[in-house]
Amino acid sequence: MTAPDGAQESLAAALGVEVVATDATGSSCLDVPAASWLPALTHARDVLGLDLLDWLSAVDEPEADPPAVDVVAHLVDTSSPPGRLHRLLLRTRVPAAALSLPSATPLWAGAAWHERETHEMFGVDFTGFRDPVGEPLRPLLLPDGFEGTPLRKSFVLASRAVRPWPGAKEPGESGEGNASPSRRKLLPPGVPDPATWGPRRPEPATNGTPDDEQPDGEQPGDQPDGGRP
Amino acid sequence: MAVDLPDPRVGRPEVGALQRTAGDPVRVVLNWGRRYSLWVFNFGLACCAIEFIAASMARHDFIRLGVIPFAPGPRQADLMVVSGTVTDKMAPAIKRLYEQMPEPKYVISFGACSNTGGPYWDSYCVTKGVDQIIPVDVYVPGCPPRPEALLQGIVALQDKIAAEHLGERYGRRP
Repeated sequence: MTAPDGAQESLAAALGVEVVATDATGSSCLDVPAASWLPALTHARDVLGLDLLDWLSAVDEPEADPPAVDVVAHLVDTSSPPGRLHRLLLRTRVPAAALSLPSATPLWAGAAWHERETHEMFGVDFTGFRDPVGEPLRPLLLPDGFEGTPLRKSFVLASRAVRPWPGAKEPGESGEGNASPSRRKLLPPGVPDPATWGPRRPEPATNGTPDDEQPDGEQPGDQPDGGRP
Repeated sequence: MAVDLPDPRVGRPEVGALQRTAGDPVRVVLNWGRRYSLWVFNFGLACCAIEFIAASMARHDFIRLGVIPFAPGPRQADLMVVSGTVTDKMAPAIKRLYEQMPEPKYVISFGACSNTGGPYWDSYCVTKGVDQIIPVDVYVPGCPPRPEALLQGIVALQDKIAAEHLGERYGRRP
């Protein structure tokens, strides 16, 4: 499970740019500039022998300066000897203001599905995208008419604001009062901000639902008691 | 790429003249016949489908309740069991296959996901309950429910079938 020998030096020499190596939980990861993305993939395929594009995806990095999306490709050498798989993570940082990257579909036709998914989930535009069926870059998994890029951390899960729920929605929200107000400052990604979306728990309709009177009373049936007539 | 298929629904749903106009004794017999021959169509979408399969196998064996899991397709089925997470992408297919089923038809929503969205209640892509797209007769809670819970849901549906009046459900012929 190692990168090919001298992958970093070979890439840096071939591209003429700085290639940063990091260890991503046991996998070697090489960062290349976005401008060298396609040359780096080509070099990895043709020179380093990493002939299989295993997967391609992205990571949203809104905390980076400037905010960016990291596009990652996992490449594998299928002629590796048994037990010593050669593989490599190639990563590049694309600024969130201009989410555009050359497409890897000329190198691997199988990159089309991965790039379509990355496009719909993160909003990355892959220029030069070439589908085997000749269609342009388009959503893969999301239903027709879906708006937004759901895997970006700025994507707000509207259900959390509009959906009534009998229990606590967020940590520190259970109980009568607000037990730990300090936790409210840490909004996880996707959770609607009460400042702009209104209170987290919309007031129940004033038709006297039993939840109003006895918040700790009967639990809404989630048990397969199976014995009720 | 979108494939435009003709809508399978033609006109408003109807049942035959005998079902519609039968007097009470005949209705009891007809309902009795229908409640014990439910050809079921399993819309398995997630882990709940495994529990459905377990309920159909030898230990729980819902065939002894007259539920027959051998419907070749929705056009031969009386009962649809939606077991699993319904996504917005899958929802049109569920509605379409439901509309292909012949009247009278019944739906059991099996498990927390198809009841309300379950643990995915805040997801961007999960339908918050299959009852948003098709009418549901019996909800079986659980995540996933045990096969016994499905048996209980089937018995509850059979009680409902025994008590119903198809003439009122579909309206008498004008």
